[in-house]
Amino acid sequence: RTMALFVLHETSLGYALISVEEAEEIAANDAVIQKAIRDLARFGKLCKIAGFVPFRSAQDALENMNNISEGILSDLLKEFLQQHLPKVKSVKKANFKLGVQDHKIGQAIQDNLNIPCTHTGVIPELARGIRLHFPKMMKNLKADSQEKAQLGLGHSYSRGKVKFNVNRADNMII
Amino acid sequence: GRGGRGAGGAQTTIEPHRHPGVFVARGKEDVLVTKNMVPGESVYGEKRISVGEGDEKIEYRVWNPFRSKLGATIIGGVEDIYIGPGDKVLYLGAASGTTVSHVSDVVGPEGLVYAVEFSHRSGRDLINVAKKRTNVIPIIEDARHPIKYRMLVGMVDTVFADVAQPDQARIVGINAHHFLKTEGHVVISIKASCIDSTATPAAVFAAEVEKMKAEKIKPLEQLTLEPYERDHAVVIGMYRAPSKKSK
Repeated sequence: RTMALFVLHETSLGYALISVEEAEEIAANDAVIQKAIRDLARFGKLCKIAGFVPFRSAQDALENMNNISEGILSDLLKEFLQQHLPKVKSVKKANFKLGVQDHKIGQAIQDNLNIPCTHTGVIPELARGIRLHFPKMMKNLKADSQEKAQLGLGHSYSRGKVKFNVNRADNMII
Repeated sequence: GRGGRGAGGAQTTIEPHRHPGVFVARGKEDVLVTKNMVPGESVYGEKRISVGEGDEKIEYRVWNPFRSKLGATIIGGVEDIYIGPGDKVLYLGAASGTTVSHVSDVVGPEGLVYAVEFSHRSGRDLINVAKKRTNVIPIIEDARHPIKYRMLVGMVDTVFADVAQPDQARIVGINAHHFLKTEGHVVISIKASCIDSTATPAAVFAAEVEKMKAEKIKPLEQLTLEPYERDHAVVIGMYRAPSKKSK
């Protein structure tokens, strides 16, 4: 049986799910993906957006980023994955895999939703390609809207880090 | 003196430097400058120079090579800094944002600087610098764990690193694997004593270059930062350079 492959891509705008065509061929031949990454048209045939959920507010984005950076599965991400991925009864019976960039979030997803996750093999390269091409893969997305969202989120995340430092003084490594 | 009108006299002329986005102010003495993204504001007490008249006035900020390793690298005559107008730069070890502010000037409104700093004390200053510069995205987080800030960063043209950590080659490597375009560039500042205080600086630099190669970074150029910094080198390399065979 063939095993379908999806990749989770977390952005400043929201969560995206990418479905990967010819996943087995890609996994077997590194050159295929390396060539595809260089060319949006080719990459777009290989990787398609299977779902996207935008953050509803700056606060929503910050809460999700705080969770993602710690490898915690938020309610929004949980609902998003349940909505867009095939139903699974058990990890072993699933006929697809979900590629993630962080093993911690993968473990949280697998434990909570029985979705089999992987963060090795072809996933890091696919993630590079998705990061590079994602703004253009998203239709109706203005060229700089992702970056504007990164700017706002970068400020709020960083302010939170500085503000909520328990040790207050510093955590610099000497 | 500092903050005075001294260098801003009528005799000062501005010429573009060999590196796009960098300029030289020629007055009594030549100084390196960048075009101020936020006219009227100094970031760390640096001198500003205005040229032109009325609406045509353009303000530049003096870039002190004793306070900035990238400034020293440019004055040291490096072939290419791989940071120019419109570029996206991941800056590791942003500190209080003094050099970051010049990189922000160089890449300009079409470019972007993702500035990562772990120290909260410096981070507060960095956030304040970024408030006035909309092309600087502050990231107060540990550069050892790029996975934590993956939602904030897109693919970049260049990674600049001044982290002064023994494992900095690996830190640069993991950030490059996530965020640096294929055939993008890295610019790494190496402080010999931060890596190994017992070996000679030359031996430390050579060992760091070997570590960079292991991270798929092909060294292109290396220079020491004398007389601005002691026992410091900057190494510039290309990430995932095409091999001759595959051409």
